[in-house]
Amino acid sequence: MFHFAPYVLKGLWRHRARTFLTVSGSAVAMFVFCFVGAVQDGLESLTQERENALIVFQENRFCPTTSRLPQDYAKAIAAIDGVKDVIPIQVFTNNCRASLDIVVFNGVPAEKLRTARNLTLVSGSWDDFQQRRDGALVGRDVAARRNLKLGGTFAIGEVAVTVAGIFESEVPAEQSLIYTHLEFLQRTSGLDAVGVVTQFEAQLADGVDADSVAATIDEQLHAGPVATVTRRKGAFQASVLADLVSLVSFAHWLGYACVVLVLSLVATTTVMAVQDRVREHAILQTIGLRPARVFRLVIAESTVVCFLGGTAGTGLALLVLTAGGLAIGTEGVALAFRPSLPLGVAGILVSLATGVLAGVTPAWHAARAHIVLSLRH
Amino acid sequence: MTLVEIRSLTKLFRKGDETVTPLDEVDLDFKEGEFLSLMGPSGTGKSTLLNLIAGIDRPTSGTITVAGTEITRLSRSQLADWRAAHLGYIFQSHNLIPVLTAYENVELPLLLLRMSRGERARRVRFALEVVGLGDRADHYPRQLSGGQEQRVGIARAIVANPTVVVADEPTGSLDARARQQIQELLCRLNDELGTTMLMVTHDTEIAAIAKRQIRLDEGKLSEVSGHVRKLDLASA
Repeated sequence: MFHFAPYVLKGLWRHRARTFLTVSGSAVAMFVFCFVGAVQDGLESLTQERENALIVFQENRFCPTTSRLPQDYAKAIAAIDGVKDVIPIQVFTNNCRASLDIVVFNGVPAEKLRTARNLTLVSGSWDDFQQRRDGALVGRDVAARRNLKLGGTFAIGEVAVTVAGIFESEVPAEQSLIYTHLEFLQRTSGLDAVGVVTQFEAQLADGVDADSVAATIDEQLHAGPVATVTRRKGAFQASVLADLVSLVSFAHWLGYACVVLVLSLVATTTVMAVQDRVREHAILQTIGLRPARVFRLVIAESTVVCFLGGTAGTGLALLVLTAGGLAIGTEGVALAFRPSLPLGVAGILVSLATGVLAGVTPAWHAARAHIVLSLRH
Repeated sequence: MTLVEIRSLTKLFRKGDETVTPLDEVDLDFKEGEFLSLMGPSGTGKSTLLNLIAGIDRPTSGTITVAGTEITRLSRSQLADWRAAHLGYIFQSHNLIPVLTAYENVELPLLLLRMSRGERARRVRFALEVVGLGDRADHYPRQLSGGQEQRVGIARAIVANPTVVVADEPTGSLDARARQQIQELLCRLNDELGTTMLMVTHDTEIAAIAKRQIRLDEGKLSEVSGHVRKLDLASA
């Protein structure tokens, strides 16, 4: 088969304008496919995150600026069986509505932040963060988006922080957060949040029934000044992102549409290429190529075109996603667009499969054509 | 020794309501090393007979046996393998693959045979030398004249040392000078390499270069008697 590789490649080169346009079209479609895939992966990772953690939020509240829970609820929650630790979190965001440039501050006690989150500092230090009252640990993606550097200052509304470190996390959405000291955020002018927090994160012991503990928390706090609703962390984030989930679910059809687009684009190009070379294929068969080999030559051609486009589109998408640190957020929860190696491999495999599929019909026609009639073509 | 045996070969076509019979119970034998020309007016079925012998078309009935293989019984894939190993086809209009160089065009039939790269290279160089285009190996068809293209086509037809070479109006699209060169080349192939050759032509002058001439008319074959070859290497 590889003996005929020069024939396939030179054939594509002969019609380079057509080949280039088809490869470009495939690349754009696979770029969108990977983008959609990255959003879906990000959503999946967010909604399945930390199944052994619960979020306690004020009942009937959605935007974090409206949830105000007494900070001393922490003791009551910590006393419940199965709860290993409780992290009070004050959330401040620049935008409660869906936004592609959401900035979310999470005020957390420094010592709890270090133990509860698996953050890897790529610059700065924990000591610097702990020593600075206005120190902030900035997620890599938000730092890239906002061009934040170590030691620089950054302000959103009344909140002004100094970047004490930039971190990476295994959880992509974390990289779109900015962590500050809890007390600093509570005392920020305008928030008026001393003694209250937005939410608690209750970390559970292994083997505990999370739903049962959530029910117990809400039951115990029901008698307090503010009623709560407690959910698994993934479910909480899914509920906050409910509107976006619908959009993302719709977007996955866009991903499939891109694959169909590549399929029809490459199939059309391959049909044109086969129609141009009816006589050539007849010559090859006269020389002694079996129909099956002619079939494979055409399939190889469509697969090469798809592979080139798919690899270019997938590579570009991964590059943009990695470098751009894009995220969409709403109500204080950020959904990171998550590029990954499996996504890249999937993109290339999908383009290969699409290439094979796109070539089947034209290849069948080329292989089954009557030699004598085709020679007169 | 009889190389090609054709028995009761019939080919029917339907043209609307009419049935055309270009070949009607045709019998023909030709021997190894023979140079046979098949003449007749246009549309009498010469090319049909040639295509049947080449195994690229199917007869309505009858048999064709080439070197002991009854090719009319072979499947499409078996026929393709047979053509790769036993047939050289010279087209009227050279029919080179435009994206491949002269070398690559000539090499094509060898890619289908079990052969080392070195052996392929040796055979391609030899075939190109035989047709006088050893120095044009890297040229693309568009860089060659019509006559040179046809010579590359001939090199491609002989490179695998086939059992039989068929030529369909091989000089039909050439000017007088190129036609003369091709005629001489075909004679040399037959005389020096012993290539068995069947050439279809409607031109009696070109047909005269063959050692044996037959005529096809109204579906029947007839031998042209008293034929003397008009061109041989000595005169060339």
